Amino acid sequence: MSDRSHVMPTPEGEYFETSRFAGLSMIAGVVAAIALVLCVVGALVNPQQFAYSWLFGFGVFFAICAGCFFWIIVHHAVDAEWSVVVRRQLENIASLFPLFLLFFIPIVLLRHHLYEWLVIPKGTDHLLDSKRAYLNLPFFIVRALIILTFFSVMAYLFRRISVAQDRDGNPAHTLRMRKLAIASLPLFGFSLTFGAVDWFMSLNYIWFSTMWGVYIFAGAAGSSMSLLILIITWLRNSGYLKDVVSIEHYHTMGKWLLAFTVFWAYIGFSQYMLIWYANIPEETEYFILRNVESWNLMSLLLVFGRFFFPFGLLLLRSTKKKVKTLCILAGWIIFMELVDIYVIILPELHRSGMHLSIWDFFPVIGIGATLLFFYLRLVGKTSLFPTRDPRLMESLRFQN
Amino acid sequence: MNGSTTSTVPDVIAAEASASVERKLARVPLVLSNRNFSWITERIAGVNEGAAPRWWWVTFSISSLVAAIGLFCLGYQISTGVGVWGLNHPVGWAWDITNFVFWIGIGHAGTLISAILFLLRQKWRTSINRAAEAMTLFAVICAAIFPGVHVGRVWMAWFLAPVPNNYGIWPNFRSPLLWDVFAVSTYFSVSVLFWYTGLIPDLGTLRDRAKGKLQKLLYGIFALGWRGSNRNWRHYEMAYLLLAGLSTPLVLSVHSVVSFDFATSVIPSWHTTIFPPYFVAGAIFGGFAMVLTLLIPARAIYKLHDIITPGHVDKMAKIILLTGTIVSYAYAMEFFIAWYSGNQFERYSFYNRIFGPYWWYWWVGMLFCNFVAPQLFWFKRFRFNIYIVYFVCMCVNAGMWFERFIIIVGGIHRDFLPSSWGMFHATWVDIWTFIGTFGIFMSLFLLFIRWLPMIAMSEVKIVLPEADPHHHATPEGHHPVAAGGMERTQ
Repeated sequence: MSDRSHVMPTPEGEYFETSRFAGLSMIAGVVAAIALVLCVVGALVNPQQFAYSWLFGFGVFFAICAGCFFWIIVHHAVDAEWSVVVRRQLENIASLFPLFLLFFIPIVLLRHHLYEWLVIPKGTDHLLDSKRAYLNLPFFIVRALIILTFFSVMAYLFRRISVAQDRDGNPAHTLRMRKLAIASLPLFGFSLTFGAVDWFMSLNYIWFSTMWGVYIFAGAAGSSMSLLILIITWLRNSGYLKDVVSIEHYHTMGKWLLAFTVFWAYIGFSQYMLIWYANIPEETEYFILRNVESWNLMSLLLVFGRFFFPFGLLLLRSTKKKVKTLCILAGWIIFMELVDIYVIILPELHRSGMHLSIWDFFPVIGIGATLLFFYLRLVGKTSLFPTRDPRLMESLRFQN
Repeated sequence: MNGSTTSTVPDVIAAEASASVERKLARVPLVLSNRNFSWITERIAGVNEGAAPRWWWVTFSISSLVAAIGLFCLGYQISTGVGVWGLNHPVGWAWDITNFVFWIGIGHAGTLISAILFLLRQKWRTSINRAAEAMTLFAVICAAIFPGVHVGRVWMAWFLAPVPNNYGIWPNFRSPLLWDVFAVSTYFSVSVLFWYTGLIPDLGTLRDRAKGKLQKLLYGIFALGWRGSNRNWRHYEMAYLLLAGLSTPLVLSVHSVVSFDFATSVIPSWHTTIFPPYFVAGAIFGGFAMVLTLLIPARAIYKLHDIITPGHVDKMAKIILLTGTIVSYAYAMEFFIAWYSGNQFERYSFYNRIFGPYWWYWWVGMLFCNFVAPQLFWFKRFRFNIYIVYFVCMCVNAGMWFERFIIIVGGIHRDFLPSSWGMFHATWVDIWTFIGTFGIFMSLFLLFIRWLPMIAMSEVKIVLPEADPHHHATPEGHHPVAAGGMERTQ
């Protein structure tokens, strides 16, 4: 890597020209509108299938956005240098969280299709009755509101303070964000965990695993890093951040991708192996369902696609330092996150094997396009990187 | 911002940022008081070259005496049988495996500091990695004693390894106890190699400085012909990086496999899927507490405050807080899922943990020592108060032993049938074997600080500003770097 000591950021920062991408924004808006209309059709035509499909779309994007939030708070909590230049995009993505309050509405409306524990009357199942202090509708909704509000408010604050620093350059903002980030770490842990328990684990109210929150987190951290790589590359290909984000930053992002590929495998293997080994029926039923019929192929695809394949490639320095290869892998890992969440949610509906429905596509496309549409509105409002962050120079000159 | 002469943004407010903010953002130098290369060599090698001080002889005599008592207990146990311990039905594992997990956990900080922090480019690790790694090795030695002797007929311990034999008897490859043998022995071998590789440049220094013939010969043999040439350094750095990469998964795997010993079973409160990362976090938690327990006195005795600075203690305290929080998360998940599972045995075993006969192990050990005490580290003034830090580390040392005991004994002393319930009462052999391992641990550690450089001289020198080829000496020497500054000292 050449010496980057000459690099100086333009003090005004770099601005995304929203008008240049008006076409893309319009496409995103139109696609979102069409897909969401089709979602309404799906909810009316085949509400049961649609409920699961919507939860799948919600789950994927929730995980990715929560992962972006995680990287922001880790950046501040450990006072990192390298990630300053990419932080604004994480802030932009995490700021989309208020939309999830809207995306949650279909889950509430279609809850009876998703959560058996809402349907079974009291006194029928003793096991369920013993869990009703937690598994009941009012508490379920309150928890969802707390979780989504926490993410929305915190993400808003991080972006707001960070943008305020662009204006006044006051380093005290950095300390403020650090305090906020450290306080957010445990709250993030519990929010993500209980989100994962409520929305995914309780699809089968009998099943439980203490590792569950960590497993969802492992997937979220890796796939959000992948999304960051893709977004940064897209911005660079559009002519932005050329002197700001260097191959050294890609190398580091690739290393984190490797780390969380391994971490996902470690958590996934531990959870699977311990349940398989102890062989207790109430626990094994989760994996039996996913290891039979065509679901088994999907589970195997995860093992090889989410771990072995990217792991082998990411070990090589050449992969991490070649933007194109890294982007292909990042895209693949996001695809694997889709598969992962799909294998978590859909088998509960199609218990006799995988059954890809047309309704599985519209929620992912609808939610994704909506998020993209709002992201494009946000990204132009501020500089593409924090222009007056006290660690900006270190980040620009960062070398591995 | 530097260089922003054409800034359109009002710089007035930036200028008003108070000095306290800039101080908080400044990167503090890793070695204080402008110490140079020669001071570092003199101070660290001087510990090995001077005569052993009186306190060293006193503490070494006491610890080797304690070690001897421990070895006597082991001899007595081996010659008489495991019955001299308090094990019974249903408590078949108690202090033996508790001590094993306790010591192996302590043996995690060293490799975390030397391998993972190396890969994460955390340069502050250089001041503490040598002693932490040595401590790791000694802790693993203490740990390995317990599974070795708890098999009863220790002369059959070779059955633990898959040795081809005339009887065609093989260990059960599906048993996590066997995985433990592999995990711990791999961890120990790689840690020894890693530690030794890091020592080579320093052994070369000691050899070159040695006055006595015998010292010169011995340090010379172990320095493997180190000349400090460009080629030597190139090979050394390559080996070090590769070993760091190899050790990193081992930090996770060893305690994960230890946790499998319990989690693969069907015993309520043992079988839970979060055990692997929970145990790893707990191991780092306990390991860092032990590193501080040893280094705080060592730094005071040998006046190493400029190398092991308050900033180092602060960072270690933060790691203790982080891992303590992860451990507390796991405690919370265990309780929540035990309740959520609706399984009466699972629920009872956690109720029993809090209100059962071993209640105070939970209240004092897990709740106070492991959860409440580390909360002090949220506050900067406590992380910089050495007495508070030491107090919390002592709490964590004790708390992690209690935690393992309550997990192991708490899980099995209440069998599924109340008629099979029991209690564990430690015998004097249990107690003195455990105390004896502290003697072994301390004796080895004291020998280490006597004969080997307890701080990696060569690595500390590399993080000094003058080691940077772009360094320009300034008359003021180190200065706190203002916000937006460019100096990279950390």
